[in-house]
Amino acid sequence: MSEGEVNTDFLPLIYDIIRSIERDSHDGSQKRENYDSSQKVQELKQKLQQCRDQIQKLPGIEYSREEQLKRLESLRKQLALKRELLLKYKNMCHFDIPKL
Amino acid sequence: MTLPGTKEKLLQLVDDVELIAKELFENIIAHKPQKLPAIEHAQLADLLVTKDQELKDMLKTASEQAEIQKKMDALQGEVDKQDQDIRTLQKHLKEAEHILATAIYQAKQKLQSIQRSNERSTPSEELIKYAHRISASNAVAAPHNWQQGDPRRPYPTDIEMRSGFLGRMSDLPLSSSSMLQQQHQGNLGDLTSRGPHGDQPPPTSHTSSFTWQGATEMKPGLSSTATHNSVNMESKGHSKENEDVEVLSTDSSSSSSSDSQ
Repeated sequence: MSEGEVNTDFLPLIYDIIRSIERDSHDGSQKRENYDSSQKVQELKQKLQQCRDQIQKLPGIEYSREEQLKRLESLRKQLALKRELLLKYKNMCHFDIPKL
Repeated sequence: MTLPGTKEKLLQLVDDVELIAKELFENIIAHKPQKLPAIEHAQLADLLVTKDQELKDMLKTASEQAEIQKKMDALQGEVDKQDQDIRTLQKHLKEAEHILATAIYQAKQKLQSIQRSNERSTPSEELIKYAHRISASNAVAAPHNWQQGDPRRPYPTDIEMRSGFLGRMSDLPLSSSSMLQQQHQGNLGDLTSRGPHGDQPPPTSHTSSFTWQGATEMKPGLSSTATHNSVNMESKGHSKENEDVEVLSTDSSSSSSSDSQ
């Protein structure tokens, strides 16, 4: 799941709904239009819920950007320390092997 | 204090958009007296647009964070690999430490024994001389031409034992006699076990006289299997010490003759 796949185009739909409602109120109660606007509202709700579900699936957004960068930095430090430790272990003992 | 996560912010923005949209719809549907003023309505509409823009910006941040997450995953993988390496190395070091500790312990023991031997060094000539002395006095094996009644034998005679330290210990009071007897037998067992033929010590339940008899019975067979070398040494090393031993043996012949049936 990537950021590009998250659908957040709510404004056109909201505009549509407002237009429908306004038309309803001007033209008197026409059942068909009323049905149309409520259907669009339902559609908006579905879209919002879909958007929430997609956000839940996005990777790496559990923390704020600043905190995530801190964690990245700490991971880098950890890795450097571990590499250093390994090198230290490897170069710790130089045995003088007697030549036979 | 921790900042709210990006996910939390995104969900909050979606909630806001929903709420503002709902507010707008209700305002349009509402009757005139309940309607909000036009300015507030416009503000709500602006707010909706702002929130929508914020949502889009936040999604951009989310995409950047997804990239960072990829890097973090790679780093985490690397860290795990290093962890694994460190664990393996630690395991090897532990094994090496164990092996070295054992080696050092053994080496120390060897050094101690070397030191001991250096402190009390014995020249090899002395050792050979001592070996000659032992074999010359029939202390390790009976002479090859031994026969019944021959007083020469590779163990002390009865009278020699009696005149020794252990013999004198039996004169002590009775209260500790049983313990002493056990000690006595134990020592005898040691003596026989240290014998030249590596014989097993007799069971401790046997009396001391029985132990001696047992040794006597074994002797003819052993003397017949004596090696040629020992015989040679015996015949060659017929030195002054040997003569002393022989004198001792003849002195005790009266008691040993009854002993050796």
